[in-house]
Amino acid sequence: MSDKEKKQGTEISRRSFIKGVGTGTVAATVVPTILVGDQNTAEAQTDEATSTAVIQLNINGKVHEIEVESRTTLLTVLRDGIDTNGNNVDLTGAKLICDKGECGGCTILADDKPVYACMMLAMDAQGKQITTVEGIADGDDLHPVQEAFIKHDAMMCGFCTPGFVVSSVALLNENKKPTLEEIKDGLSGNTCRCGTYPFIFDAVETASEKM
Amino acid sequence: MASWGEASQSRLIGKRITRLSGKDKVTGKAKYTYDINRPGMLYARILRSEVARAEVIALDLTPAEELPGVKAVIELTQVGNQLRYQGQEIAAVAAETDDIAKDALRLIHVELEELPFVVTEDDALAEGAPEIRDWTGNKSDPNVDERGDLEAGFEEAAVIVEAKYHTPVQTHVCLETHGNVAEWRGEEYLTFWASTQAVFGVRNDLARTFDLPANQVRVITEHMGGGFGSKFGPGVEGHTAARLSKMTGKPVKLMLTRRAEHLVAGNRPSMTQHVKAGATSDGRLIAYDMQGYGTGGIGSGAGFTGPYVYSVENSRTERFNVATNAGNQRAMRAPGHPQGAFAMDSLMDELAEKLGMNPLEFRRLNDSSEVRQAQYTLGAQEIGWHKRNTVPGSGTGIKKRGLGVGSGQWGGGGGRGTQARVTINADGTVEAVTGTQDIGTGVRTAIAIIVAEELGLQPTDISVTVGDSEPGLPSGGSGGSQTTPSVAPVIKTAAEAAKQKLFEHVAPLLQAPVDDLRVGIGTIYVASDRTKTVTWKQATGQLGMESISEGGNWDEDLRQGGVAGTQFAEVEVDTQTGHVGVIKIVAVQDCGLAINRLATESQINGGVIMGLGQTLLEERIMDPQTGRMLNANLEDYKVPGTYEIPEIKAIVFDTHRKVSGVGEPPCIPTLGAIANAVYNAIGVRIRELPITPDKVLTALAEKKA
Amino acid sequence: MDNFSYVNATDLEQVTSLLSDSGWGEVMVVAGGTDLLGELKEYIETPKTLINLKSLPGMDSISMNTTGITIGALTTVADIANHPTIQQRYTVLAQAASSVATPQIRNVGTLGGNLCQRPRCWYYRDETVNCLKKGGDTCYAVDGLSKYHAILGGDPVFIVHPSDIAPALIALGASLKIVGPEGEKTMKVEEFFTLPAANPFRENVLQPNEIVVEVHVPQPKQGTKSFYLKAREKGAPDFALASVAGVFEMMGQTCQNANIVLGGVAPAPWRSTEAENILSGKVINESVSNNAGAAAVKDAQPLNDNAYKVTLTQNLISRTAMMAVS
Repeated sequence: MSDKEKKQGTEISRRSFIKGVGTGTVAATVVPTILVGDQNTAEAQTDEATSTAVIQLNINGKVHEIEVESRTTLLTVLRDGIDTNGNNVDLTGAKLICDKGECGGCTILADDKPVYACMMLAMDAQGKQITTVEGIADGDDLHPVQEAFIKHDAMMCGFCTPGFVVSSVALLNENKKPTLEEIKDGLSGNTCRCGTYPFIFDAVETASEKM
Repeated sequence: MASWGEASQSRLIGKRITRLSGKDKVTGKAKYTYDINRPGMLYARILRSEVARAEVIALDLTPAEELPGVKAVIELTQVGNQLRYQGQEIAAVAAETDDIAKDALRLIHVELEELPFVVTEDDALAEGAPEIRDWTGNKSDPNVDERGDLEAGFEEAAVIVEAKYHTPVQTHVCLETHGNVAEWRGEEYLTFWASTQAVFGVRNDLARTFDLPANQVRVITEHMGGGFGSKFGPGVEGHTAARLSKMTGKPVKLMLTRRAEHLVAGNRPSMTQHVKAGATSDGRLIAYDMQGYGTGGIGSGAGFTGPYVYSVENSRTERFNVATNAGNQRAMRAPGHPQGAFAMDSLMDELAEKLGMNPLEFRRLNDSSEVRQAQYTLGAQEIGWHKRNTVPGSGTGIKKRGLGVGSGQWGGGGGRGTQARVTINADGTVEAVTGTQDIGTGVRTAIAIIVAEELGLQPTDISVTVGDSEPGLPSGGSGGSQTTPSVAPVIKTAAEAAKQKLFEHVAPLLQAPVDDLRVGIGTIYVASDRTKTVTWKQATGQLGMESISEGGNWDEDLRQGGVAGTQFAEVEVDTQTGHVGVIKIVAVQDCGLAINRLATESQINGGVIMGLGQTLLEERIMDPQTGRMLNANLEDYKVPGTYEIPEIKAIVFDTHRKVSGVGEPPCIPTLGAIANAVYNAIGVRIRELPITPDKVLTALAEKKA
Repeated sequence: MDNFSYVNATDLEQVTSLLSDSGWGEVMVVAGGTDLLGELKEYIETPKTLINLKSLPGMDSISMNTTGITIGALTTVADIANHPTIQQRYTVLAQAASSVATPQIRNVGTLGGNLCQRPRCWYYRDETVNCLKKGGDTCYAVDGLSKYHAILGGDPVFIVHPSDIAPALIALGASLKIVGPEGEKTMKVEEFFTLPAANPFRENVLQPNEIVVEVHVPQPKQGTKSFYLKAREKGAPDFALASVAGVFEMMGQTCQNANIVLGGVAPAPWRSTEAENILSGKVINESVSNNAGAAAVKDAQPLNDNAYKVTLTQNLISRTAMMAVS
């Protein structure tokens, strides 16, 4: 079946809408009805052996057993997951901000490499050592990156901070003495809206001297 | 008269102090509204219109209701209603998981009949455009302001500049999207975690909406992930969360998606200005004639400043609002100012050039602010103003550098309406409580600094509670750069009162009159005989079973409004790629008494970076064909990232010992400074933001031709 | 996103047989997922089954011999960017890989996924806009907002190909291996990509039951210099407004042979033989470089908003060529 055929099967209503939009902005638009939702999305997702599974995830050195759907992202497990004992995973340090791998708020380490938890399926996290921001400090002893973030006030609202902390730790694990350009590159996958960047750069420089 | 004392006597105030919430924020322990997990909590989502304008023909919730895991589905519009912008609410779902809620939204059956729409200002103003609200031609009545004699002014002018300046709609992009968690206890008591800038504003709104006594609504905002002016009320999403929670008897979390955040959670309106202005041969701005408009969406205005900062005797301005089928504007960091400043600072440079005058000198001649006059000198020195191209665009090579300057003005003097309490317990612990909220500016830490300074303690000794309506100590919303100047006087007077009470308890022990007692560092001593001293704990031990708990009061003399700012920019323009890189920004920011110099510098950095984004990257892109916002994400709506960050020299220009707010003003002068620097680098002026490579390359090509 | 069945791939035969009857969209393969999950979350694709290729053994390595390097399709973009030999001898490839998105995406995204990623066009990525590429009647970029769209080879769909790595591979003369139900076949990376005139729905020749398994890059000749230049609005994670992969076989200041491949300006990586012809056999100087740039965009047909890309592309080619002699 070609793309066109396939699409015709499911999207006639939407297409007829868009045709009616016309090219001029103020064209008198005569549009038939359109459907905003109405896709049979929920149907296909049950009863298939592999569409849900009980998996084990190693997060911050602790094994969590949890039932997930195939589509469940690692970020969903961390933030909203409930394990098979009925306990909330409740690791809300990784934030859901863009949900599309564009902002870095959900950065975690998978086998020591920074990745976006919103773009990783929970099933794919099996067998990896997952470290979230909650696992960066050694008990009450903060990581030098965390100490330096506090010292330099490398946060305002703080919503992006966990992602920046994790990315900074990953950067310094790879490169002990990064230049400013290397810091910018290493943190280029993280976004801050308050504009804390200059103090974040200072913090990473300070932390690099302590590692 | 109350005073903050001399700088030399301040141990903490005005110093660089790390924030109290630092550890929680770097370890991920800080709980934002988005992070609240309540037992049995449901996840809610809102189905929104994806079209700009349509009538609702049919709406059937049944298929969604039947999906296992769905607990409630409600209509947010009705058949027959008109939806007037993309993102407008149609229905909402609460379900056991967020994924089920998403699935359920897609099962709701909606039929819409699309109606003619306008999503850009040009289309709204075009002849024959469909009228989308009760304004003739989609235009509001103009707001006209006349001063002096414009005609005479132009006659006196030696040079005249006519230009059109434009800034597009910018969105707030709060990283924590708008949203709430609602939890009812029976039908009488609502606990509401809100990502808000106004804890008490939200409480009062909910009490009205749900017909509850105000003391039966508790709003909690321990931490919140950015508001920038867009988060003052509970909004449709807040009311919806509370409704769904009441219906289901379960806690309900409803956070906006990133897409919805762009579409419906507010924006900075656009601005278009047609300006004609004249200056005398000796460099006096003498006449200013402006017609301008902007769009704030379907139902809101689009105010902006102009003329701005600089004095002009003769002026006429005419402003109107344009309605478009788009989400409404909300206050955004210094509403109206950055866009007005961009136009004005560009205009000033254009006039100066026609006069053959250094643009900084031209500003000096027309700026009545003594503070800014001093800032011009300091900033020019810091940036190396002498390095600018005397002839714009005269630099050689592919990458050309240039310098520019811009200015701004803000109020930020705070106001009445805050109540606070400082408590000293017998074990020596100290609590400070008020109903403000820390939206990232660090007011929690500022409170601790003030109390610790007053009591001779360390900021970390003070336990500060903000962001909770339960203690019943109201404070205003965090807007207008008012938070610290509103809260600081009340906290200080409360701490003073608590200290006095403690002195009364300690005086017998030290065998000295109360007014002879002073606080040291962790001690209380007798001023006339410093050998007589007790430790803080010994002193508070005198309280026995009691605690001291004192309120404060508003004190005009401890705060002051009106802050001036100036920024200088150095940019490098790659003339082959059109890319503008900002090398350095010098931001000289008047801020009154900086309670915490470190947090103040943070605020200045942040303002500069948001201004930089508005100048070089940000734009809500509306498609006239489909009526859609094409960049309702963080891929194509571009906010500054690490590579965009210049060296920023934040100069805290503390001119007096009274508290002023500084959240908004630093984002104002950046636009003009960068735009003027780009002109100085390449000799072509770009009058429309953002200054992206397409515009730079097109402008350079036109210059060549 | 809708739920799906998730199948871990065990071997290539299993993969191609699972794919074989389904056509596009019912059963899909996923590796890093950094592109596909975005499409699933936006409901651009709603597969019933996803085959996880990451479980295939031995497909994530880089091997070298005297003829060149072979890179498994599951190799991450980061591993390509950080590989010392690639950095030294296949510089354009390392530079292209390191310009991809962000560190987090480079750690997960794979070579195969980078080559097969779908367009970023804002009409295509909006579920509710049924554009020509999704089976509708209109490419909305033609009359709509087209700042990021194609200036070359667009008709009738004016997307641009988002890959950075593909132009570099083509400029290096790389080939790739495809496995399908009938076994494997090898083709030039250049031949892998197609224009919308041939097929408006896909960006390459891959059939629904085939996957890319590896890429071979021949060793560049002695004296080769290569560069990847990428123009963006924002430093990261922006896709290219325009990019140039240039490979120059140099003898002193003379370019004996030049390969110039453009990214971000056409629905497929765009080889500019016009620019190559001008550069090859010439002493590179400013005028030759400028002529090469101009030749490359001679036939460009910009839309309403992207005429700047003509200048930009021209300038980038000229800059790349000048780097070969600096």
